[in-house]
Amino acid sequence: MTTQNKPKIGVYICHCGMNIAPKVDVEEVARYIQELDHVTVARDYKFMCSNPGQDMIINDIKELGLNRVVVASCSPRMHEKTFRNAVRTAGLNPYYFQMANIREQVSWVTKDSQEATEKAKSMVAAAVARVFFHQPLDTREVTVAKSVLVIGGGIAGMQAALTSANAGYQVSLVEREPSIGGHMAKFDKTFPTLDCAACIMTPKMVDVLQHPGITLYTWSEVEKVEGFIGNFEVTVKKKPRYVDEKKCTGCGTCMQKCPTKKILSEFNEGLSFRTAIYTPFPQAVPNVPVIDATHCRVLGQNKKCGVCAKFCETKAIDFDQKPEFVTLKIGAIITATGFQAVNPTSLEQYGYGRFPEVYTSMEFERLNNATGPTSGKVLMKNGMVPKRVAIIHCVGSRDTRHKKYCSRVCCMYSMKFAHLLREKTGAEVWEFYIDIRSPGKLYEEFYNRVQEEGVRFIRGRVAEITDMVEDPGDEGRLTVIAESTLTRRTVRVPVDMVVLSVGLEPARGSEDIGRLLGLSRDGDGWFNELHAKLAPLATPINGIFLAGCCQGPKDIPDTVAQAMGAAGEAIALLAKGIVTTQAEISRIDPDLCSGCKSCIESCTYSAIRFDEARKVAVVNEALCMGCGSCAAACPSSAAGVKHFTDKQVMGEIEALLM
Amino acid sequence: MVKSMSDDYQPKIIALVCNWCTYTAADLAGTSRLCYPSNIRMIRMMCTGMIDPKYILKAFLDGADGVFIGGCHPGDCHYINGNLKFKKRMAGIEAIISQFGFEEDRLRLRWIGASEGPEFQHNMTDFIQTIQNMGPSPAKGLMVL
Amino acid sequence: MSVYAMVKDASPTVAVKAALTKLLSQNLVDAVLVAAKSPYSALPMPTLFAEASAMDGIDPLAPAAPFNAARQAATVSRQATGKRLALVLRPCEIRALIELVKLNQCTLENVVLIGIDCLGRMENEVFLRHASALGDVTSEFQKNTSLQDDITRTCQMCEQFEPAHADIAMSTLGMAENSVLFASGSETGEALLKELGLSPAENPAQRETVTKQLREKRAACKKEVFAETSEKINSIEKFEKMIGTCLNCYNCRQACPVCYCRECVFLTDVFAARPETLLRRAQKRGSVKLPTDTTMFHLTRLSHIAHSCVGCGQCSSVCPSNIPVADIFTTVAAQVQAAYDYVPGRDVQEPIPYLIFAEKQKSGEPK
Repeated sequence: MTTQNKPKIGVYICHCGMNIAPKVDVEEVARYIQELDHVTVARDYKFMCSNPGQDMIINDIKELGLNRVVVASCSPRMHEKTFRNAVRTAGLNPYYFQMANIREQVSWVTKDSQEATEKAKSMVAAAVARVFFHQPLDTREVTVAKSVLVIGGGIAGMQAALTSANAGYQVSLVEREPSIGGHMAKFDKTFPTLDCAACIMTPKMVDVLQHPGITLYTWSEVEKVEGFIGNFEVTVKKKPRYVDEKKCTGCGTCMQKCPTKKILSEFNEGLSFRTAIYTPFPQAVPNVPVIDATHCRVLGQNKKCGVCAKFCETKAIDFDQKPEFVTLKIGAIITATGFQAVNPTSLEQYGYGRFPEVYTSMEFERLNNATGPTSGKVLMKNGMVPKRVAIIHCVGSRDTRHKKYCSRVCCMYSMKFAHLLREKTGAEVWEFYIDIRSPGKLYEEFYNRVQEEGVRFIRGRVAEITDMVEDPGDEGRLTVIAESTLTRRTVRVPVDMVVLSVGLEPARGSEDIGRLLGLSRDGDGWFNELHAKLAPLATPINGIFLAGCCQGPKDIPDTVAQAMGAAGEAIALLAKGIVTTQAEISRIDPDLCSGCKSCIESCTYSAIRFDEARKVAVVNEALCMGCGSCAAACPSSAAGVKHFTDKQVMGEIEALLM
Repeated sequence: MVKSMSDDYQPKIIALVCNWCTYTAADLAGTSRLCYPSNIRMIRMMCTGMIDPKYILKAFLDGADGVFIGGCHPGDCHYINGNLKFKKRMAGIEAIISQFGFEEDRLRLRWIGASEGPEFQHNMTDFIQTIQNMGPSPAKGLMVL
Repeated sequence: MSVYAMVKDASPTVAVKAALTKLLSQNLVDAVLVAAKSPYSALPMPTLFAEASAMDGIDPLAPAAPFNAARQAATVSRQATGKRLALVLRPCEIRALIELVKLNQCTLENVVLIGIDCLGRMENEVFLRHASALGDVTSEFQKNTSLQDDITRTCQMCEQFEPAHADIAMSTLGMAENSVLFASGSETGEALLKELGLSPAENPAQRETVTKQLREKRAACKKEVFAETSEKINSIEKFEKMIGTCLNCYNCRQACPVCYCRECVFLTDVFAARPETLLRRAQKRGSVKLPTDTTMFHLTRLSHIAHSCVGCGQCSSVCPSNIPVADIFTTVAAQVQAAYDYVPGRDVQEPIPYLIFAEKQKSGEPK
């Protein structure tokens, strides 16, 4: 070490008014520290964080040539930034600074004054020992691409796309189905206000389509994601539609003429049929059909057909279409991959799949919907109107053998069903519930309303649904058996129709999306937010945000709010236009690295790659979060975190035990 | 400080704690004026997952009577699972140091969340008491480092 | 594993040599790494052969191993070269090699692992003494049980003397005199044995009895060494006495097959003490022993490799101060390996224990 950069440490002991000083003998601490190696000056002062306090540091740096600074005061969580700025103002690298927390961890928690003084001395000495090993660090600024990728075209994705695009940013919205709309497009009414879902949904879908800032990729999937915050490079795979989007006018002739007509409609939950060339529903956006290659006679069965092509006036049918790959430069990513309804087949006690009159809630939504298989009439398979209907809550939810969590929306949509049933059919409705959960604006009121409408509520989990009837007059009906926990009696209710209020689970493929993005998922498969309370829209991966049910079950108002919030996060990032990389990140010394890849295995953020040519691990500084897992895994200390180096930490340990 | 009745043994304890949870809990204990013995010396780490075994070995060989590790509750790690990485590593460190006569409880890992000021206080008091009862570390006073 | 052939020859070495030579002469592999005498010493050194005619001095069954040859094996298999290599190794060497594969230090791609039954190795000077008296120590060693007692202390406690994970295993334990049993442990091995013209055979009945007896003897010895060592290190003060003559020469680290770092952290400045710290410490305590990092070195090395320690004993063999390093390492390693339920060299797919987390959350795979 040359004389020029020989450490000259200035140490400042704060009285913090009466918070530190009377308990800790600050003058004694300063006297003790003054005698330590490399300490040029040790002072105590009433308020180090005040302007005169900071000026004292700045002047000493300039006049005494200090090149390291220690402040012993409050928690670094409180004023580390303040003092780093002061150090920077004086022309010194802000990382030549260390704080000793002698308020929260000494004066406030120690009874005996002498003990407090001793503890403070040792902590300040440790800070001095540590700062000796500090190195100047730099942060780097990276520009942010002014574009947003939204994955998922349900109401969450649509809203996130619209909010981002309205702020003036370019949005790419990727949806794997032929149309945007998601689950909400399938719903009939929405609780608790009973607006028609389609009436509030379709205009938004059109807005998305027509917005100049939104590029819509339907029937497309995210194939690859590389890069980092502000600079993602995303590859989108456009699956072959076999219909030229530019030529198609959406006249629908192809669908009328297609001879393959008996394919179960996904949109109608298998309750009706569609053709091999189809749009999932009449209001689909874009209104361009796709050909289902598995069922198409030309594509799937190698037969001569081509009826659609013959009738298409604009020659939009193209059987030779191949997948297309589009590469996008993206600044921020919003994940809105949503949910899927739990399939209740494995919950055998409910008889789903065995009894035709047992429906899932999604099926029942379609049964209620004017565009559904029965044109909105609630009819049984035999065409009759049901006289009595049971609605079973918490199917697959709040069940230790299935999903432990509450799916949050089922109580409310069950009561919506009850209302619609009463209104449309006048049927007697029995709701079997565990608790009613109605904690939303106007939700409890809606609960009261359906009670007033004569809906019967039985508190108890249903034990079984059977086709064995007690009264011969009920032959052909189903019997719901449950214990009413309020009356402590077993009830047997003969009904014509059963609706299973199934819970929500992460959408199929969300694991793959998680893998592509590097997002972690909780035990139930929902994406983990960065912080459950304080960062519910962010993820551990900088620049990737969450919207809607992919983060956990939620209703439409919460989903929309979260989508707007996620868009807000993305907009804030894009508006600033630059991201500053953290200084305290990992570095790997290529001269020491043995190439064992332990660091790569340990890294949660996929921030380390292996350089095959040099056989060493290399840190991607933009992805590294500085957690230090790599450092702890590296036996040769080739990997280490800047500002938490072995010498710094062990120097501190050594001084504390001296 | 906890006073032992027979001698003036003052245990020295190093605590390597996570910035996001235990360190914050310690700050909270401070703002809540929850007192605990002064023998503890805390070192702020960004995550328990960055704790290299040699820090623990160094502390013991340098004369620490106990080493406390404070991390986030499983599932709460700021870096997703650094705490679990440390927990895994800890099993090996324990197996090693116990062979050299360091009693099992001289190295203690606890999960203390950011809001758990009283838990922090309780953990410090309890650990110091445990170490106090145990007596000085076998490495103390040896010229091993 | 299917058993292939029992070959009787002038000596087991001749039988083994014939098979290994054929591998090269029939171009079944491009090179063979195997222990061989050099013109300069009777001590067999790991030697890479590309010509069958050069293989006259090979001596894989010799009770000597100046290296744990996993290191040399990893050098020649550092990366795939397109050439097919046969590596003839002792069981502990194979186990170490498997650990090195996990640590990305070498690859088993296009590698044929050939293992031998290992009756143990002698310290170099013991072997050389016998060699000058007997000439062919290897043949004598196979028959003479009193000579077999001259193996190293660590070998005497080794229970894993049969080759596991080898494509081809060459066994001598429990065989008729001068016979070697060839067995395949993989499809690769089976194909090669067929190419060598060997035909299916039976495992001789007495093999199991012999190996069981030997294993029991070794286990008893191991138990004794572990108990004795535990007693000697169960306080840091006793441990200090044990390593009191350590010279910080780092020979043990150099000889260790699983200490894989390109540059040891103890050679970097991480542990370099500053003069002012040393002086302060000396002032405080009256004196400071230098170097200061001797104990730290051994404990840190344990923390780095105890889980992968294969118990080859080379660390003891190379210690100029005769510190029973291997006793310490194997005793502590047994505890660490038990804590992780991990056996080094058991399975190349089994990850290094601290790289997997018990309560692992479902998390994204690397992009």
